[in-house]
Amino acid sequence: MSDDTYQLDRRGAREPATQRSGCAVDSFTTSKARLRLWQLISPALPIGAYAYSRGLEYAVSAGWVGNEIDAAAWIEGQLTHVFENLDVPVFARLYRAWQEDDKGALAYWNSFLLASRDSAELLAEDQYLGAALARLLLDLGVEDAGAWQVAERPSFATLFALGAERWDIELTEAAQAYAWVWSEHQVAAAVKLIPLGQTAGQRMLSRLADVIPEAVQSGLALGDDAIGGVAPGVGIASALHEGQYTRLFRS
Amino acid sequence: MFRFPTDRNGRSARAPACHAAAGFSGSPEPDDPGLSAVVDGGSGWEARIELGFERRHGRTVMARRHYGPLAVQKPFYPEGEVCHTYLLHPPGGIVGGDRLTIEATVRDGARALLTTPAAAKIYRSARDPSVQEYQLKIAAGGALEWLPQETILFAHCQALTTTRVEVERGAAFIGWEILCLGRPASDERFDAGSCRQRIEVWREGTPLLIERARLEGGSSLLSAHWGLMGRTVVGTLVALPANHALLETAREAVVPAPGDLFSATLLGEVLVCRYLGGQGEAARRCFTSAWSAIRPHLLVRPACYPRIWST
Repeated sequence: MSDDTYQLDRRGAREPATQRSGCAVDSFTTSKARLRLWQLISPALPIGAYAYSRGLEYAVSAGWVGNEIDAAAWIEGQLTHVFENLDVPVFARLYRAWQEDDKGALAYWNSFLLASRDSAELLAEDQYLGAALARLLLDLGVEDAGAWQVAERPSFATLFALGAERWDIELTEAAQAYAWVWSEHQVAAAVKLIPLGQTAGQRMLSRLADVIPEAVQSGLALGDDAIGGVAPGVGIASALHEGQYTRLFRS
Repeated sequence: MFRFPTDRNGRSARAPACHAAAGFSGSPEPDDPGLSAVVDGGSGWEARIELGFERRHGRTVMARRHYGPLAVQKPFYPEGEVCHTYLLHPPGGIVGGDRLTIEATVRDGARALLTTPAAAKIYRSARDPSVQEYQLKIAAGGALEWLPQETILFAHCQALTTTRVEVERGAAFIGWEILCLGRPASDERFDAGSCRQRIEVWREGTPLLIERARLEGGSSLLSAHWGLMGRTVVGTLVALPANHALLETAREAVVPAPGDLFSATLLGEVLVCRYLGGQGEAARRCFTSAWSAIRPHLLVRPACYPRIWST
């Protein structure tokens, strides 16, 4: 999407553009939103997301994933089956719930996502990252994060949606960013575990960047009843990782 | 109006058996609520059974209401109070447009074990989905064991299978679902067709476990390592309320056959075991091992194998 379209969309979503001065203000808002988006997806975001491999560590040790092609298939498969059909549509519902301050919907979709996690470690990961992001957002002045910092079970998506919504990042972009964050951490884990060169990691990311927009688009279009997806091999890998003897990663 | 279908897929062959065994006797009573909408224009067979389990005079008694070719045998009491119940679906399989609904409600203090004498089959369908729906409700103080034999998904089937468990706090449940994709023994691979599988556990409107799989014939999910890794049998066992001790018990109890995969994990209070391999029987063996090991802890009684499993 070009910058112009983006600004037009943003104007359309808020209030109709009136004058030149109005455009300038909007353009600043848009730039600010984009910069906050970069902040939110930066690997430097201090939430500890690098510590999780999501079952990849077991998959590598079992010989299921042994090279760049395997790793790309492992990550892309989850992206187009689980992320597209589960995470993205639930993320969209959480985002809208924040927009409307609908606490019932927030609680429901948060618990729906957590109940969909395949293993104790994937569930714990989601909650640790959610809690860490809640703390950070609160420190950055997003007050609604406070309740979730103390909440028993915050999912990462719930807090990511909060940050995105409060920082004026529009839904499609926010969902793509959420997919990107997840992909980048998976690629980093693959590079470390297999191991692969940094260039191979970047090749995988380029490939994932080609897949993400379409996956997000289909995911956003899903109705409530169609939500849900599993990656049985990942679920098993992650559950078996719990008993793995030497481990670098927490999942 | 109900009719005996005469098209392919073995329908005509199974019709008489169904008639005799299920005691079906014509159209539903007009004043029977809930049953009037079951015949959906004759596009498929609707079969439904509602089972209620209640504790009376120190043991669990069963009440039933059924429509179409689904029935239960007279309950057994091999271990005193637990009501062992065998569900029968004499046609043995469903085709496109058919719908099979099993509803079981277990009240406070009641103990029920449900199983089936044979594998369920979902045949090929050109268009309409074949629906298999299990709704299991357990009140506080109730316990249900849901131990059906496997479901065989024929290539080109359009299956929707849903297991929805609703528990109150203080209810106990052990159950599983085993799906066999295609019939490798007959050289029939699951290279076309679709199965949407749901396994869900809810408590007071809150989901405790949501598993919604879309198994598309010939898709990468079937072959990839993140998916089924080319294995044709996939099983999920669920038990609650569980804790770490129960998780360890399940892990120690199961030694999968070489080449098969078995895992166990704890999602809050829900123990989830998964099997991935090549044989329905091997899946059952893994799950019955886990079940016999966790039953003494979860239900405070030793494993008592349903007699029908050994016949």
